[in-house]
Amino acid sequence: MSTQHDASHRNHDAPVNSRSLVPSSLAVQTLGVGKRFGSRAALADVDLEVPRGCAFGLLGPNGAGKTTLIRLLLGLAAPTAGQMRLLGRKLPSGSADALARVGAIIEEPRFHPHLSGRENLAIHAAARERAAYARIDGALARVVLTARADDRVKSYSMGMRQRLGIARCLLADPELLILDEPMNGLDPAGIGELRDLIRALVDEGRTVLLSSHLLDEIERTCDAAAILDDGKVIAQGRLDELTAGGPRAIDITCSHPDQAALQLRGVPGIAQVTDHAGVLRVELGPEAAADREVISELLRRLLSAGFAIERVSPVAVSLEQRFLTMTTRLEDRS
Amino acid sequence: MFDLRLIRADVLKLRRRRGMLALSFILTLGIVALIAGVAAIRHAGNPLEHRPAGGVMAYKDSMFVLTLMMLVVGAIVGATAGAQDLESGVFRDLAATGRSRLALFGSRIPGACAIVLPIAGLAAAAVAIAGLALADGGISPDAAMIFAATAGVLTTGALTATVAVGLAALTGSKAAVIATMLGFNLALAPLLSGIAWLGDARHAIAPNALNRIGHTANEGVDMGLITAIVVVIAWAAAAFAAGAWRTQAREI
Repeated sequence: MSTQHDASHRNHDAPVNSRSLVPSSLAVQTLGVGKRFGSRAALADVDLEVPRGCAFGLLGPNGAGKTTLIRLLLGLAAPTAGQMRLLGRKLPSGSADALARVGAIIEEPRFHPHLSGRENLAIHAAARERAAYARIDGALARVVLTARADDRVKSYSMGMRQRLGIARCLLADPELLILDEPMNGLDPAGIGELRDLIRALVDEGRTVLLSSHLLDEIERTCDAAAILDDGKVIAQGRLDELTAGGPRAIDITCSHPDQAALQLRGVPGIAQVTDHAGVLRVELGPEAAADREVISELLRRLLSAGFAIERVSPVAVSLEQRFLTMTTRLEDRS
Repeated sequence: MFDLRLIRADVLKLRRRRGMLALSFILTLGIVALIAGVAAIRHAGNPLEHRPAGGVMAYKDSMFVLTLMMLVVGAIVGATAGAQDLESGVFRDLAATGRSRLALFGSRIPGACAIVLPIAGLAAAAVAIAGLALADGGISPDAAMIFAATAGVLTTGALTATVAVGLAALTGSKAAVIATMLGFNLALAPLLSGIAWLGDARHAIAPNALNRIGHTANEGVDMGLITAIVVVIAWAAAAFAAGAWRTQAREI
C-alpha cells in the first residue's frame, strides 16, 4: 500500500509501524481494519490516522468503502479484521464512552417525519447525557432553524434536514463529528454555509471527519485527507502533500507564444513546451531544479530574446487531478 | 434496561401519531359506545324483546368484544413502537450515540404500553359504567367480575403490544407484523382452538390464555388461571428475547 503520512500529525507515542494500538491523541486510528460481506472485501487492511482538531476529508469513488468505514467506527457494524480507536478509546470495548462524544450523520440524516425538528432533537437527546436537552435551542440557533423548529420535519427541504442533522450532532457537544456526504442536496449557498460551519467547529478545537465525493469542497474545507479506493487507503496526509508529486508545469503569458515556445525548447530540465490557447505551458522534467531557479532561467531567456512577459504562474495540481490519477476507474475494475 | 427518558421519547413518538391514536379510540371506545348505544335504543323501543344495554350479559359481551379489539390495537401500537425507528432510519443514529441497543429496544415496550393501557382502561371503565348504569333493574356485574374482565383487557393490550414490539424489532416491518398478528389472533387461533385432538397444546395459544384471565369468552379452552398467566408470561418473554437479540445483532 502506498501511503503518504503526515509526520507532523503522527502521534509519536503510538507509531503505526509497531502494528499495535496504544492510547493516542488521534481522533481516529485504525490498524489493519477489514470488513467482508461474504466473499467480497469491502475494506482491506485499512490504516487510517485522523489527527485531532482538524477537518479531515475521506475521499473515494462510489463503492470505495467510505460509508462502510464510518459504520465500523460508529459501531453499526463489526469489522472482520483489525483494530480501531476512537478518541483514544479502543473499540468495541470503549465505544460507549467514545461515541458519547461523537456526533454523526451517516449517508443522509433521517428523522421521524411526523415530529417537529425540536421533538426529533428531544428524541435524540434522550439517548444522550442529560445535558443534551439544554443544548437543543443552541444547536437549532446555530444551524439557523429556530424559526422552523416547531414545524414537522416532513415539511423540511433537504437542506433543512441536513442542517437539522448537524444540530443533532451538536447535542453531544462533540469532540469529533463524522459527516458522511453532508453536502448532498445542498444548494451552493447551503454548501458555503456548511463549509463555514465546519471551519468554525474546527476553530473550536473539534475534529470533523468529512466523507465526500465533492473533491473541490474537500479541498476548500479540509486540512488533510485520506483517499480510499477499492476498500484500501491509498494515500493520506495534508492536502498540500497529497497534491505534491504530480507533474510540474509553469504557465507563461507572453507576446508571440508560438515563437517563445521555439526559444525555450532544449532548455535543460524542460520536458515539453506547448502553446495553450495563447499561454505558454512549460512542463518540467523530473530532473528540473526548483521552481524559482527554473522560472529565473526561463525569464532570462525570454527577456533577452525580446519577448514581453505579462504573467508567470506555477500550475497547481488540484486534488481532483491527483485523485483521478490514484483511484481505480470503474472500467479498470471491471 | 428501562430508561425513563427513553421511554418518554418513545411515548412522544407514538403520541404524535394522531391517525393511529384516532383509530385506536374508534376501535375501543367507539365500538363499545356503539354497542351500548344500539342496545339501549333497541331496549328502549321494545324492552321485552331486547335486553338492557347494561347488566351482566351485556357487560360480558362488550368486554369480549373489547378484548378482541385490544388484540388489534395492541398489534397496531406495538408494531409501530417496535418498527418506527428502523423504518424511519433513525435507529442508526440512535445506535451511533453509543447508547446500549438493549436499552433502546427495552424502552419501546413500556412506551407502547403507556399508550395501549390507558386506552384499554378507559374503554373498560366505560363498559363497566354502562354495565352498571344501563342494567335497568337486571343483575349488574359485581366487583369481582369487573376486576377480572378489566384485568383480561389490560393484559390483552399489554401482551399483544409486547409481542408486536418484539416481532417488529425482529422483522423491521410494521405492516408485516400487524398482518401476521391479526391473522393469527383473529383467524388462526380460533381455528386451532377448535381442533379438539390438539388437547392441552391449545393452552399455549395466547388468546385462549387471555380469555381465561378475563373470563369474558362464553366458550373456550379450559385451563387454570396459573397456566394462563404462565402462557402470557412465556409469550411476552419469547417476544422480548427475539426482539432484543435481533436489535443487538442487527448491522445497520
